[in-house]
Amino acid sequence: MFVEFVEGPLWYFSAAVFVLGVLWRVVGIIRLKRRAKDLSVPRASATVGALKAQVLHFVPHGGFSFRTVYHLVAGYSFHIGLFVLLLWGAPHIAFFETHILGFSWDALPRWGFVVAAQFAFAGLMLLWVRRISDPVMIKLSDKDDHVSAWLTFTVMLTGCLALQESVEALRILHMLSVEIWLLYFPFSRLMHAVTFAFSRGHTGALFGRRGIVP
Amino acid sequence: MRKFRLGGLIGFLAVLAVVAYASLAGITGSASLDISAQAQEAGNVPGKSMGNSSDSEFWRKVRRGTQGKVSIPDVKSAVLINSEGSAWRAARNGPVSFWGGVIVAGSLAFFFLFGLFHGRIMIKGGRSGEVIPRFSQAERWVHWFVAGSFMLLALTGLALLFGRYVLKPVFGPEVFAIVANASLQSHNLFGPIFIVGLVIMIVLYMRDNLWQKGDLDWALKGGFLNDSHPPSWKYNLGEKVWYWSIFFGGLALSGSGLMLEFPWLFEQLTQLQLAHIVHAVAALVLIAFSFGHIYLGVWGVEGALDGMTQGYVDVNWAKEHHGWWAEEVLESNTSVVEGASDAPPNTKSPAPAE
Repeated sequence: MFVEFVEGPLWYFSAAVFVLGVLWRVVGIIRLKRRAKDLSVPRASATVGALKAQVLHFVPHGGFSFRTVYHLVAGYSFHIGLFVLLLWGAPHIAFFETHILGFSWDALPRWGFVVAAQFAFAGLMLLWVRRISDPVMIKLSDKDDHVSAWLTFTVMLTGCLALQESVEALRILHMLSVEIWLLYFPFSRLMHAVTFAFSRGHTGALFGRRGIVP
Repeated sequence: MRKFRLGGLIGFLAVLAVVAYASLAGITGSASLDISAQAQEAGNVPGKSMGNSSDSEFWRKVRRGTQGKVSIPDVKSAVLINSEGSAWRAARNGPVSFWGGVIVAGSLAFFFLFGLFHGRIMIKGGRSGEVIPRFSQAERWVHWFVAGSFMLLALTGLALLFGRYVLKPVFGPEVFAIVANASLQSHNLFGPIFIVGLVIMIVLYMRDNLWQKGDLDWALKGGFLNDSHPPSWKYNLGEKVWYWSIFFGGLALSGSGLMLEFPWLFEQLTQLQLAHIVHAVAALVLIAFSFGHIYLGVWGVEGALDGMTQGYVDVNWAKEHHGWWAEEVLESNTSVVEGASDAPPNTKSPAPAE
């Protein structure tokens, strides 16, 4: 009964909330009006600045590279690991094929899946350790940051527990945690997965218009 | 009435004798009816009438773990019955589980009761409001990373070792099977992450944990149990013992863990069985020790946790618990250089030396 509920109604509900919630947030951002029109003569293209920022902000500014090396390594370790195991993990591909897309692609071998998970776990743990032990980060962090981090960790941990793919209860536990994560996503800072592009674009456009490399 | 015929009787007895002799010769395997030949010697069947080896000797060799030959790469499969496995299982389910349980439960009970009756060790002079740096960001980050992964590994490892005694009777075999399955997967996945963190931590913390003059005095004067708090360097002898326990225990844990993580690299199962016992013993000792570390670091000693959460400790705490180290830091005036901006609010770094 519970299994059917998690795989059926709860899955469709959480997926719908995720998609509609993200769309609602994105449309809301796009519809935001500029506070004041910039009447100055542009020195360069704002659009080019926005596009440049999308790429350039993937690496830290040269002057800050030493200060951000921990954040940089941990951040990339987590995000790349997470996306690799999400998109190339054999169980995930099978899920996408049967529940969403209807087609599949080549999966990583099991050892690759495990290594990606290890990078993702290590990165997430390092990022959270920094959040609780850096005096500045402690003050910048609020409940939402911690809930987001722990929900993501829980999703990854339940996935890790179900790694052998032989116990139904563990698979359902993983799916349930994913559904809770999907429900929380649009209303939290997890939205940075989408809004980072708007943030970079806005900053890049401002700097670009002034003729400065963002 | 039929007549008695002597010739017939002799003939009958002759046939009977021939049949009897043939039967006995067949049974003994000896034309001279040597009954001593019935005893098997070195597995050879008397008279070689049924081959060169007896079944009993064949199975005895199998039971002893004699290695045959196979044409597949996994040479371990040439051993039909791994008899050392019985010894390993007896050790794993016997003394390792029993004494391991005693050590872990005993340590937990000891520190609980110690805390209950002894209470917290407070800063005698109270907090001064001035702080000095104790742990760098790198030291704090690697400590919490290793601590987090260690706790996850400890929980899953304990579930694997003691689950059949603790979880199975309470929750039933189905739940225990699920927990054991999940524990094994997460244990194997987090193990390598822990090893990387552990190696970095060992390197980062080594310099201040080497033997220094005065370490023994601290212990002989009663260590932290002495109310007058004998002076020590950055780490007292108790902390150094904990560090070196992590060094040797952690390396044993990591080495044996890697062997168990990649079992196909080893040809002999006995190597893996030994690795498993080493892994369990090292883990149980470190888990038992860790209760003391957690108790003293988190609650038992007032002000100790600040160093690992904020990087700074109160000057009075430093002078009371690590007097020689505090003098060094205050004289070198490093606080204004390293991480001074990390100082928690409402505190101030010590004034620069004149």
